[in-house]
Amino acid sequence: MIAALLPVIVAAPAVAALILLAIPSRYAIATRVVSMAGATVSFAGSVLAAVHYDRHVGGLQMPFDLPLIPSLGVHLSLAIDGWGVSLVLLTGVIIFAAVLASFTVQRRDKEFFIYLLVLVSGVFGVFVCQDLLIFFLFYEIAVLPMYLLIGIWGSSNVVPEAGPFRFVWKIFDVGGREYAAMKLTVMLLLGSAAILVSIFVLYQGAGATTFNLGVLGAVPYARTTQIIVFPLLWMGFGSLGGVFPFHTWSPDGHAAAPTAVSMLHAGVLMKLGAFGVIRIGMMLLPVGAAYWAPTVGAVAVVNILYGAMCAMSQKDLKYIVAYSSVSHMGVVMLGAATLNATGWNGAIFQMFAHGVMTALLFSLVGLVYERAHTRIIAKMGGFGTIMPGVATFFTLAMLSSLGLPGTAGFAAELMVFLGAWHGSHAWWTIPAILGAFVTAIYVLRASRAIFWGPGPSEHFHDLYDARGVEWAAPIVLAVAIVVFGVWPRLLLDLIDPATIEYLRDFASAIVRQP
Amino acid sequence: MSLPVGALPLEAAPIPAFVALFAPAVAALVLAAAPALRRRGAPASWVTLTASLLATAAAVTLLVTQLREGGSHVWMASWLQINGAGVGDFGVRLDGVSATMLLVVCVVATCVQVFSLGYMHDEKPPAFGRYFAYHALFLFSMNLLVLAPDLLQLFAGWELVGATSYLLIGFYYQKPSAGQAALKAFWITKLADMGFLMALMVLYKTTGTFRWDAAVTAATATTVSGLLFFAVVGKSAQFPLHIWLPDAMEGPTPVSALLHAATMVAAGVFLIVRANPLFAHAPATRDVMLLVGSGTALFAACLALVQTDIKKVLAYSTCSQLGYMVAALGAGSVFGGFFHLATHAFFKALLFLAAGSVIHAVHSNELADMGGLRRRMPVTATTFIIGAMSLAGIPGLAGFFSKDLVLASVEGRYGWVPFGALMATAFLTAFYMGRVVFLAFFGEARGHAGHAHESGGSLLVPLLVLTVPSVALGWVAAPLAHLSGATYELHLVGVVPILAASLGLGGFALAWVVYGRGTLVVSALAPLERLVATRAVNRVYEVGYRRVLLVVADVLGWIDRYLIDGLMNFLGWSAVAGGRALRRVQTGNAQDYVFAVVLGAIALAAWGLLP
Repeated sequence: MIAALLPVIVAAPAVAALILLAIPSRYAIATRVVSMAGATVSFAGSVLAAVHYDRHVGGLQMPFDLPLIPSLGVHLSLAIDGWGVSLVLLTGVIIFAAVLASFTVQRRDKEFFIYLLVLVSGVFGVFVCQDLLIFFLFYEIAVLPMYLLIGIWGSSNVVPEAGPFRFVWKIFDVGGREYAAMKLTVMLLLGSAAILVSIFVLYQGAGATTFNLGVLGAVPYARTTQIIVFPLLWMGFGSLGGVFPFHTWSPDGHAAAPTAVSMLHAGVLMKLGAFGVIRIGMMLLPVGAAYWAPTVGAVAVVNILYGAMCAMSQKDLKYIVAYSSVSHMGVVMLGAATLNATGWNGAIFQMFAHGVMTALLFSLVGLVYERAHTRIIAKMGGFGTIMPGVATFFTLAMLSSLGLPGTAGFAAELMVFLGAWHGSHAWWTIPAILGAFVTAIYVLRASRAIFWGPGPSEHFHDLYDARGVEWAAPIVLAVAIVVFGVWPRLLLDLIDPATIEYLRDFASAIVRQP
Repeated sequence: MSLPVGALPLEAAPIPAFVALFAPAVAALVLAAAPALRRRGAPASWVTLTASLLATAAAVTLLVTQLREGGSHVWMASWLQINGAGVGDFGVRLDGVSATMLLVVCVVATCVQVFSLGYMHDEKPPAFGRYFAYHALFLFSMNLLVLAPDLLQLFAGWELVGATSYLLIGFYYQKPSAGQAALKAFWITKLADMGFLMALMVLYKTTGTFRWDAAVTAATATTVSGLLFFAVVGKSAQFPLHIWLPDAMEGPTPVSALLHAATMVAAGVFLIVRANPLFAHAPATRDVMLLVGSGTALFAACLALVQTDIKKVLAYSTCSQLGYMVAALGAGSVFGGFFHLATHAFFKALLFLAAGSVIHAVHSNELADMGGLRRRMPVTATTFIIGAMSLAGIPGLAGFFSKDLVLASVEGRYGWVPFGALMATAFLTAFYMGRVVFLAFFGEARGHAGHAHESGGSLLVPLLVLTVPSVALGWVAAPLAHLSGATYELHLVGVVPILAASLGLGGFALAWVVYGRGTLVVSALAPLERLVATRAVNRVYEVGYRRVLLVVADVLGWIDRYLIDGLMNFLGWSAVAGGRALRRVQTGNAQDYVFAVVLGAIALAAWGLLP
């Protein structure tokens, strides 16, 4: 049964989506039950995978292999290691919470759930896939439904921008959901094009017989090839991971997206980018990665500090959270660039920490927006009196965001900073830590502007605290933040063996290189 | 990785250590997970209070064991797993220092919570419950800090008490001033905490652990202790990062007593005591500490002279007394600093709670609204005066002994300048406390003070309990010193104690002449008042925040939205525009295509014919 666990985790949401196709859209309850079932199976499966993964043995476990195109060496090959377990668990938690948070979707809800579930199947696939071509296939499955989810269910023109460039923004329809959907998709597809080119280079270079990641990882590509191809993968995956300067889709995309989509996108999809850089870029092209690591780290530091400063200047709540994602994904990339165990553990842990934290933030922002009908922070104030529950969860997420010990954010940032200080470019740590301080400023400032102060003005007449099922997503995510924050070894004991193994391969590849 | 001597697995730790650490944590978790219970108010207070009493009982047990058996014991488990090895210790370390501090924290916390039962009684039940949930979280965080076996856990507790301080200062979150104060406190201390984080980095890189007793070179010790001291300057409100503490008085008065006088702000001093092996090898850091500490003591005492708000007087007094402790530690007297921490925790908590009792009765913080209260509130007045006398260093009371140790330790350093500053502070301390006493409790009743009534039992009992150590703690200095591995000799006759005592009495006497009888007007205070009104230090931070940080953020935000994103939009637009322009080529006329073909053929031919 455990052998079939990975296919079940990956397929369950897609199967649920297929069943939804057969259900008439007027059955709203059935739609939600089926979606919830699909998400629950995956969530339970991911927990089971975490429990059943043998941390003492390590390596890839629970393998599943199905030859798809034998002549080209394409296999549907699934297996999971410690990194995969952590990220699959993250995805499980978030899809579970995201489906719960989408129960209130009214318009064309059946299609909404179908796209959401298909997307998540793709995400699960990326994290457990051991075949480069199928990896890419899953990656695209995860990215493309976003276009429709934002384009159809998104919100438009909620950012009334004044200023000298107003007319330019009008030309581009900045703030519109179609604009956001288009921008996101085009930028990510440009990245995908770079990835696809790299995949063919890697496939050819290895003798054009297999796409297996383990085999490709052992191939000593020429130094020049590695140095040329690695930036393609870094920028290709990095555009999804929010790497500066390809991050600008993120504020617009997250702002226009409906709640559950923002949760998934910032919570999980951005991790696909960072995971791709590490798992594909760094592990298949170690020499190139070592060559480019200083650049990757420097850009990551820009991400952290610059993203935080940009977040501070935002007036729209969703833009703040989106820019904070840009900043926090910088922490992931910084951890990756350290090329040491501390930093890599930190990077993977930060993916998890940022995932649950930002999903929690977006779910709460969604609740606030539904009631207040505005996201402009200056217009809010005193909401804590009416919605104490939302305020409490929001405070927790904000505190995790600034790296408070006892929340998942702290363990992650600590390890990344330690790794960076230990690494060859210790100076990275200083601006990164400053970024953490700036985070403390903008998150608490926003939190105070929304929830603190004298009771809300009469303008907001239908504010109320979360109700019924709306509590579910915040509770699930908050529990994850605290549990893994208090005792990070629950995850680290899984992450660390994988890190050791990858790092050993990485180091030996560097040594082997002529 | 070698474990320190006597390190045992966490599971083997004695039960009282677990109780002290986890009873408040369980209370906080229960109150967080059961909103229905919390929002009913009173049950929440009982949950928290039970946990605090359990923790106090455990602390007593641990201290008794420590007194009987001595030594230091560490029980721990690794908190992180990196490269196949455990990193960072989570657990408890029991020795003389942590056992003493634990008891101080638990006793003061319990007293403050009992006091809060009465003081916060008028709050709505949900707010009342929230208040006690925060208190449970605070006690857990503080105990986590106190019992920490290494600097990483200490840092975790350090940050968590900072977060609870933020929540409690902002308890009246509907008041804009409370919101500002909460943020200011969090930001300033967080800025300083970056130093702590850097210290952890340096320590981990050089030793592979976060232990303060790891062997390090002198250079590393100086770096690490310097960075740690930066964090202490923030947390313990030393100049120039002291500005958050007076504002923090926006919180409920019992909170000011517990967090912003007795325990949390003293965490900085505790850190120096704990990390003494590092500081002992860093004479440069100690010199800075001596100067910053004595400077802050004098500076804050001057500011305390002219405050009109009773809590602000006490807040500046706290800064000043923390300066004493830092100076003593800078001079190398670890026990002097630690002992003053302990006595100060009791008498300052007493002073704050007594002030709270007054505020509760007259509904104002302003000294101008008080007066003559000694007849209407005899118990409060008596306990406040005892606390004030202890603070002023009147012989026989706790403050006298600890202040004497501090003063003796800085004798002769830096050409007697720190000594002179601390002596002057001793006089000023007595003067400003005398001022408060005579303005609030003597003379004619002003404002609501005429209708004030003595507070109820839950407010008075903690005052009486805290009076005991405020008076008597000095007489047990010797066993406490023994616990901390120091020796203590009582010397009542000497230049320093006699000078200090007479300065203290002199300060009171002068205050009586000026504010009690009103026969003397001190015109020297007028320029000081004007100086304080300029809020010069605060201004610097405001300019840094509003004119620098926010402006830079706005500029970067603008650049991102218009230049970087503008470039992306421009690329998109040029693709569309390019396509639109090229579309004109597709005219659909066969003649045009033939013309293009001919043109192309000519061009190719020309290219081919060129040499």
